[in-house]
Amino acid sequence: MKRFFAMLAALPILLAAASVAAIADDDVITLGASVQSTGSQANTGRYYVDAYKLAVDTINAKGGVKVGDKAYKLALKLYDNQSDVGLSVRQYVRLITADKVNFLLGPFASNYALDDSSVAEKYQIPMVQGGGASGQIYARGYKYIFGTLPPAGDYYASTIEMMGKLDPKPVRVALVAADDSFDVSVAKGTRAQLKSAGYELVADEKYAENNADFSSILSIIKSKAPDVILWSGHETEALNFIRQMKSLDVNPKGFYAFTVGVPTADFRKALGKDANYAFGMSSWLPEPQLADPWFGNAADFAKLYQEKYGYEPDYHAASAVADVETFAVAIANAGSLDPQKVRDAIAAVSFDSLYAHIKYGENGQIVLPQVVIQIQEDKVVPIYAADFLNKPEYPVPAWGARK
Amino acid sequence: MLLAQIIVNGLLLGGLYGLMALGMALVWGVLNIVNLAHGAFIMLGGYAVYFLFSELGIDPFLALPLAMAAMFVFGYLLQLLVLNQIVRSAMLNTLLITFGLDVVLTYLAQLLFTADFRTIAPSYAGANFTFLGVTVPGIRLAAFAVAWLLAGIMWLVLSRLPLGRAIRATAQNLTAARLYGVNPRQLYAVTFGIGAALAGASGGLYGMIGHLSPYIGVPLTAQSFVIAVIGGLDNPFSVILAGLVIGMAESLAALYLGPTYANVISFGLLVVILVLRPARALRSA
Repeated sequence: MKRFFAMLAALPILLAAASVAAIADDDVITLGASVQSTGSQANTGRYYVDAYKLAVDTINAKGGVKVGDKAYKLALKLYDNQSDVGLSVRQYVRLITADKVNFLLGPFASNYALDDSSVAEKYQIPMVQGGGASGQIYARGYKYIFGTLPPAGDYYASTIEMMGKLDPKPVRVALVAADDSFDVSVAKGTRAQLKSAGYELVADEKYAENNADFSSILSIIKSKAPDVILWSGHETEALNFIRQMKSLDVNPKGFYAFTVGVPTADFRKALGKDANYAFGMSSWLPEPQLADPWFGNAADFAKLYQEKYGYEPDYHAASAVADVETFAVAIANAGSLDPQKVRDAIAAVSFDSLYAHIKYGENGQIVLPQVVIQIQEDKVVPIYAADFLNKPEYPVPAWGARK
Repeated sequence: MLLAQIIVNGLLLGGLYGLMALGMALVWGVLNIVNLAHGAFIMLGGYAVYFLFSELGIDPFLALPLAMAAMFVFGYLLQLLVLNQIVRSAMLNTLLITFGLDVVLTYLAQLLFTADFRTIAPSYAGANFTFLGVTVPGIRLAAFAVAWLLAGIMWLVLSRLPLGRAIRATAQNLTAARLYGVNPRQLYAVTFGIGAALAGASGGLYGMIGHLSPYIGVPLTAQSFVIAVIGGLDNPFSVILAGLVIGMAESLAALYLGPTYANVISFGLLVVILVLRPARALRSA
């Protein structure tokens, strides 16, 4: 008899506990992502992990996200995909089916985003990703994928525009691109733009990803005497390319440019003086003019990030923050956590953030121009965006002629 | 002239490849261990030279012997304490254990050194000279010379020194070698240590030409494997020659077929050689 009453007494306590737990869960919006924390892409993957955390913490500190008249906190559920695309896909399925996260953030790199976005589309959970720029991601008519990196095919648009205004005007262009999703998109777009601008493509070389040796490509390029070398690949390879350019004494008469690496601090640190004169691009620079509802402005964000993590942020980090902010704004606008309603809200969103003005195109991808930058005396200098911002060091001196 | 440049590129690249494969071939030939962690040893040797250069200011070429000594001790202890347990068991066990070792070493490196890229960049890193219209990068030429030098030293050790005779005897017939007083555990440890030291040297040179990160190991293990098979496991010079063959093949393939075919050529050559001369590859298996 005593046992029965004891159990009866326990019942309301259990019910109360269950409902408290339920309320606690209700106050949290969970964003899930599978990012490269280890493996060959870890070098860039960490920008995403660190930026997601900083964004979530900062938004929560400023009151979280208001849905109707209730305030919610953001939470993160992150997995390490070990730089393995297959694992990344499985982890996204797990995030949706087992962990039951509310919404999805993206990985780094286009070939991951390409496959991971299919998971989001299948389960109809919106994903906002800031790591993949390839046009292939947005060419499938998917409704649940949005991205804050501008189209890969347009990466060199500002550079090509700038080339038309340089004196002496370059004529012969060499293009080198890796064979993964992002770089194939860059090369395709760049080839078309070079052709319509009337440049002579004297070399068009493709190389396998994770290749460390460029001696053959460099020798072939050198034999064609180009004015400009446009290069597309990932950071690891950009580093090797520059070092080997120097040791094989390859000197384009005008300049050489990279799609990645140049804006990133540890790339410049690893190369030291050899990084000087290199052209690159960034969809973001930490300017105080970029105002943000949570961070103040981009310059403040950069300072905060550097203090917290001990290294400078670059456009990867800013892009990742913009993704978290997109959800905060869209969820508040939708006034609901229903995936369909939030998806529609994201498609309609338009707000200023430390990254840029956030507005997604018809296909889900943001449209932003790349700013052409150059490393001058170990510093990143913005050179061109619609017009010259600073004087470029052009033509770039030959390796042997540098101090 | 482009062809001459491509050929020179291939030869110089091949020299470094050959050096990388030398350690693997030695260990495979004597211990019958296919060391899947070989690339990780190359990576560790590279980091050793990097830290000696960046923290202590020792010139990388002078740091090479120091790094080699450190890697020798590391390899010696690893064999004595861990790998000796499975050295005469099935090939599968050695593959499993060295594979696990590769994963452990890679992720330890990630924890200790982070995924940041490192480059070994002494002031002369980009130096080059031009000879008959061909640009020769200085470091690659030095790596080529070091490869032949180390192969020569190994050849001397194997053919003239008592240690070398003991190594060759053990590889040929363990029982007979033991009858002559060879202590296999010690000998295996010394041999593995030498293999690790050679890997370490190639890592230091690799760091001067490319870059270092915890993840550079796997493709280098694959490359070394191919070259070790093609070069055979008996003669150090033939391993270097095999490296030259692969280096040349990749360079010429890049020129005539396209740079994306480099791996197709290496592994294609491996398949061809295995089909035509299986005896050589199966000798030690």
